[in-house]
Amino acid sequence: MLKEVFMPKLSSTMEVGTLLEWFKAEGDTVDVGEPIFEIMTDKINIEVESYEEGILLKKYYEVDDEIPVNAVVAYIGDKNDVAPETPTAIEAEDETAATADAPEAEIAENAINEESLDTNEKVRATPAARRVARENNTTFNGVQGSGPKGRIHEQDILDAINNKSNKLVTPLAAKIAADQGIDIAEVHGTGSRGKVVKQDILNNQQPQTEVTEEVERIKLKGLRKAVADKMLQNAQSIPHVTLTTDVDMTRAIELRKALLPVIESQTSYRVSYTEIIMKATASTLKQHPRVNASLIGNEIIINKSINLGLAVAVEDGLIVPSVANVDKLGLADLTTVSKELGAKARHNKLTPDEMKGSTFTISNLGMYAIDGFTPIINAPETAILGVGRIVEKAVVVDGSVVVRPIMVLSLSFDHRAIDGAPAAAFLTELKECLENPWALLV
Amino acid sequence: MRELTYLEAVREAMSLEMRKNDDVFLMGEDIGVYGGAFGVTRGMIEEFGPERIRNTPISEAGIAGAAVGSALTGMRPIMELQFSDFITIALDQIVNQAAKLRYMYGGKGKVPMVVRTPSGSGTGAAAQHSQSLEAWVAHIPGLKVVQPSTAYDVKGLLKAAMDDDNPVIFYEHKLLYKTSSEVPEEEYSIPLGKADIKREGTDVTIVASAIMVHKALEAAAELEKEGISVEIVDPRTLVPLDTETIIQSVTKTGRLVVVHEAVKRGGFGGEIASMIAESEAFDYLDAPIKRLGGISAPIPYNPELEKAAVPQVPDIINAVKETLNK
Repeated sequence: MLKEVFMPKLSSTMEVGTLLEWFKAEGDTVDVGEPIFEIMTDKINIEVESYEEGILLKKYYEVDDEIPVNAVVAYIGDKNDVAPETPTAIEAEDETAATADAPEAEIAENAINEESLDTNEKVRATPAARRVARENNTTFNGVQGSGPKGRIHEQDILDAINNKSNKLVTPLAAKIAADQGIDIAEVHGTGSRGKVVKQDILNNQQPQTEVTEEVERIKLKGLRKAVADKMLQNAQSIPHVTLTTDVDMTRAIELRKALLPVIESQTSYRVSYTEIIMKATASTLKQHPRVNASLIGNEIIINKSINLGLAVAVEDGLIVPSVANVDKLGLADLTTVSKELGAKARHNKLTPDEMKGSTFTISNLGMYAIDGFTPIINAPETAILGVGRIVEKAVVVDGSVVVRPIMVLSLSFDHRAIDGAPAAAFLTELKECLENPWALLV
Repeated sequence: MRELTYLEAVREAMSLEMRKNDDVFLMGEDIGVYGGAFGVTRGMIEEFGPERIRNTPISEAGIAGAAVGSALTGMRPIMELQFSDFITIALDQIVNQAAKLRYMYGGKGKVPMVVRTPSGSGTGAAAQHSQSLEAWVAHIPGLKVVQPSTAYDVKGLLKAAMDDDNPVIFYEHKLLYKTSSEVPEEEYSIPLGKADIKREGTDVTIVASAIMVHKALEAAAELEKEGISVEIVDPRTLVPLDTETIIQSVTKTGRLVVVHEAVKRGGFGGEIASMIAESEAFDYLDAPIKRLGGISAPIPYNPELEKAAVPQVPDIINAVKETLNK
């Protein structure tokens, strides 16, 4: 039966993958888990592994071709199968659209393929082996049969259960493990379905410190896992540069003092420096649209709206509600909106809509004894502003040393989208705006 | 305990019964002074006289008819079929009369007869005197089918067959007549339908009958040297069949080899294999069931070809190893 090899969609922003290298030629046999080709996405280079075994019958693309997500890149099948001259067109960005376009038979076929990955259908196994698998609530996935034609016997599944030697493992990882004498069973796999990848083996090589005392172990899951994944991806895939500057907050403090009772009587919320900084940032972003951009695929998208993400610490996590059109909001409305969103975030009541659409993020650690830091960009945004505490410092003004309330701003930007000079110009103007906040009235 | 041959054990079982039960008598060809084709009844006419050890004309249909009639009217006849191949001539009486009458009379009549008959190959007696046709009679409801493999078993099973109120086809293997084992002097009965584990083991179950029990035991001894532990179940009676013992054994070992001398095609091994596949032992099977039986050809006269036509020890060893992927 013919089985398609698709261009995988590896991230929410991925639309095409560039073919870097073929590892298999037409006519080669392919095993499950074997890399077929390597692609480059907007974020990473990755080897695409086969979900099927058989013979690589047909390749439709060459090196350096840009292939849309979900397009058929190749066919795998028996030696008797004949692959079509042109691939079946499956042009859709997401899975729902793909299934809507595909003929019903194909959907059914895909469903069966999916299923056979995870069930014991069509596996050559003895009744005893099946009973043991059933009793242990496991499948024959990855279990090597010792009998004729790979028939799985009771002992094979028992070995697999006991040794966990049925771990999915990439060929490269298996080779490194064999070379280094590392037992795959001991390695924790981080790939899909717990597959052991090269990095897992390399990590395992590090001498592990003996832990003698009891430690608390917290599994990465839920929000923690989401934060971890996003941070890793953003930190590894974006070339960050962080600029810092001191801001004299004397007038911003005066502004806040003056507005505090006014806004409190209107909204019952107390305006904070965060809102003043948001307002100043929105105003400055308007003058520097390149900093208010998103990088998606091969495009820099200059956003018309100025929607500010506000990093909010919640229990064991971090979420970023989005305040829309900050440049169009007065400070009273902005205070109301951001206070409400902050409260919702802390009570875990944000709707998905309230968390998306931000074009620039502000992370405020000013309530702690923190001056500057290097915030991680919230992709696909291209910049993030880190806000430190306001602290009185001795500064030189007009040739004399005076005490002024000083705040450090840290701007991380994506060097793929923005260069140092325009980023510096933005931060400089933001500093001037906060030092002369009356300009916000203009 | 004294040793007795299989042949002597058959004779002793009959003699002990005849001494105390006047209703028991023998009919057969040349069973009197000559003592039968294999000498089983030798000396019996001297003890019991020609009334009870009756020579018959060469007519298996006639012997079987007389046996059915005398059994129906209160006697307990034992008929000797000189070679089990000749059951073909007696089958109308055995299948259409003996097997049916107790049912058709609603239990008011009964046919307590034993058909004793030597079966099997290995004596150079060629195609018409070497068959193993036990599956034919095992197929007929109303007949019990016994295949003893040792002197001890044959004495106890024959006692049970003589005591049974139904027709029993009692197969004596020609090559087993000269084998011997310890046999108690007194009368004893081995219930029909009770298998015997001839050797305990853990890796594979061999269900073997008659002569094949001994070949399987030889194979098991060889396999033990290679660390393979074989359990050998001798069903002893095909009807009734002790399914429980076989199922338990296969559940334990997870592997089954069935061996009989009869032609594999349509042989009783198929019944045992199917019974296991239908049983709760199925979920414990860790290899396909293997059957060994005679080839689908008449038994050749040439002694080498005769041996090649039925399973031998190396065949059993190979079958076990195949089952174990070795």
